[in-house]
Amino acid sequence: MSQLLPYFAVGLLLLVALGLWARQSLTTRKGSVALSMPCERSSGAGSATPRRDLGERIFDLHDWDFVRCETTSEIQRLFQQERAVLAISWLRRTRRQVSFVMRTHATGVRRSKNLQPAMELKLLLSYLSLVMLCDILIGLIWLRGPVRTRRIVGQTFHWTARLRLAFEQLIAIVDPANRKAL
Amino acid sequence: MARDPYHRRLRFPQFQVCLDGLPKLEAGRDEIILNLFPPCMLIFAQTSPVAAASVFEQILWWVGNAAEALILLRSIRQKLYEKYPAFYFYLGTVLMLQLFRFSIFVFYPNAFPAFYWYTQFLPATVGYAVILEIFKLGLKSSPGAARMARTVLWGVLGTVILKVFVDALSGSTWSMATSFTELERNLRTVQALLILAIIAVLAFYAVPNSRNLKGIIFGYGLYICASVMSLAFGSLPGNATRPGWRHVQPIAYLAALFIWTYSLWSRQPDPETEDEPKIERDYRLIAKQTGRALSKIRSYFKMGGEL
Repeated sequence: MSQLLPYFAVGLLLLVALGLWARQSLTTRKGSVALSMPCERSSGAGSATPRRDLGERIFDLHDWDFVRCETTSEIQRLFQQERAVLAISWLRRTRRQVSFVMRTHATGVRRSKNLQPAMELKLLLSYLSLVMLCDILIGLIWLRGPVRTRRIVGQTFHWTARLRLAFEQLIAIVDPANRKAL
Repeated sequence: MARDPYHRRLRFPQFQVCLDGLPKLEAGRDEIILNLFPPCMLIFAQTSPVAAASVFEQILWWVGNAAEALILLRSIRQKLYEKYPAFYFYLGTVLMLQLFRFSIFVFYPNAFPAFYWYTQFLPATVGYAVILEIFKLGLKSSPGAARMARTVLWGVLGTVILKVFVDALSGSTWSMATSFTELERNLRTVQALLILAIIAVLAFYAVPNSRNLKGIIFGYGLYICASVMSLAFGSLPGNATRPGWRHVQPIAYLAALFIWTYSLWSRQPDPETEDEPKIERDYRLIAKQTGRALSKIRSYFKMGGEL
């Protein structure tokens, strides 16, 4: 049975890809997406671009500390609920923005003859990691609430930063010449 | 070794043809079954009860042939065969093969099993020409995306060749001599991977294509998907004789034929690309700006730490 799993996986993957491609073909004509540069587009007034300070504000712990100290448990529960809705909405907007950036890129370069597979792969991985991050955060907020998620994410980033620093120090010892390349 | 879906009891004694002509791979099996046996031959069976399933198979077979003939006729009328020669060659090959098998069965029943097995891979092999045509025509207007697809396709082919060599060296299950079904399943799986890569590139770069080509890709992809899964499922012990799974492949093929009939009814022009400027954009500049935009969005998630 386990020998056959790859075949089922390939079949399912193809089925999903066909479904998504059919949906893309039937719904919107992506070819008509605006070809302006992503940076120019994102700075437009009244655009749907999620602002960085908005995210920081939503996940800020000061409000929660205040509510926790000054209010009843019912108000605390309401605060958590509303903050979760806000956070998920912000993350969805961010996810849409990431998709828009990538779609604009794909439309802009698809006729280019100088397309570089390595660069495309790098951008694709960056895009996928962001989309996954958004999805994971949405899931975490939905399951554990924004305050706990904020703490989990903060701790994860803290450990990542420490690991990165340790890795850089190691590389600096092993290969000082290529340290800056990292 | 797992049983394959081709092992099915012949229902009618008068059609228990001599199977000595079959390759030795089939020796030792108690029931030799012909999955794509032209079901129309069951019409001539008088002594055994004709199950509803066999009537259904006959309907599938006749409707399928009629649809294939209709698509081919429309292609002549609309001159679509000039645009998609490999696809129509594939369709013509399948139709001819079906009819040829049927005539062989009627006039030379003893030669039928060997003929059946030896021609089993012809459609799967010609299918590679269809994939090549999809690749060439689908990405004709996007040289950059075509380059990406070529890289991915070579990657897929390289991985498959490497796997074949590794399996052959380690004496594992995959080899030419394992069984006809497994060989067909593997041929179809490679096709599935190739078509998956092409669809991924087409979808990612939103490459515009005509309805004709989209129909070919969608129909063929659907059939390949059903083939891979039903052949894999059928090779599980105990599943080979389940009537439900025997019908998956013919039904998927019929669905593909309907999709092709609809999408290839008339010749559709290639989508207009005038809205896109003809000036070559600086790829490096666009890639750099995209990377910068993604980094900017990534910075939203810092939350007091580095990402």
